[in-house]
Amino acid sequence: MTLRPGTRVRARLADPDHHTRVPGYVRGQTGEVVEAAGQWPLPDDGARGITPARVETVYSVRFPAAALWGSGTHWVIVDLWESYLEEA
Amino acid sequence: MSRAHDIGGQTGFGPVPLGEDGLPFEHDWEARVYALNGVLRARGLYSGDEFRDAIERIPPQEYLGLSYYERWLRAIETLLADRALLAGEAPPAGQGLLPDREGG
Repeated sequence: MTLRPGTRVRARLADPDHHTRVPGYVRGQTGEVVEAAGQWPLPDDGARGITPARVETVYSVRFPAAALWGSGTHWVIVDLWESYLEEA
Repeated sequence: MSRAHDIGGQTGFGPVPLGEDGLPFEHDWEARVYALNGVLRARGLYSGDEFRDAIERIPPQEYLGLSYYERWLRAIETLLADRALLAGEAPPAGQGLLPDREGG
């Protein structure tokens, strides 16, 4: 799966019992792909000593600040591994 | 499981304290903790992801009371204890490996 810029995505609600790179403030939030930011090992695997860690595309995803914080007119861009995302 | 570290967007913690001298460490023991982590990582004892996970596993009531490098030290102690490289219970942060930290 390659997500094109502009694709609407939702950060999964899953809240795993180990290190992950999904900040709580975007969980369940809908944003839009800015660009693919390369292929990187999944930190969730690395944190659990799983080798080799799965390698996934990381996407820079932008969220409207007002949706996250209740105010603000800017975007908040978060780098998210592919398995953190579902199409919205 | 949400953890105590995941506080992005939360307010009420006050300003981030910054030293006035521009130096990266407030105390010498912090530089030693930084270096210790670098050596252990370079020797492949644990990965950066495992290190972050160990910081985030610090119980919330303890996590919130520790300084940045106290958390680093606590995580190092946890990882070494996990690997049976540090005997017994991990000591309270800053009191096991670096007993003289009060002296800076």
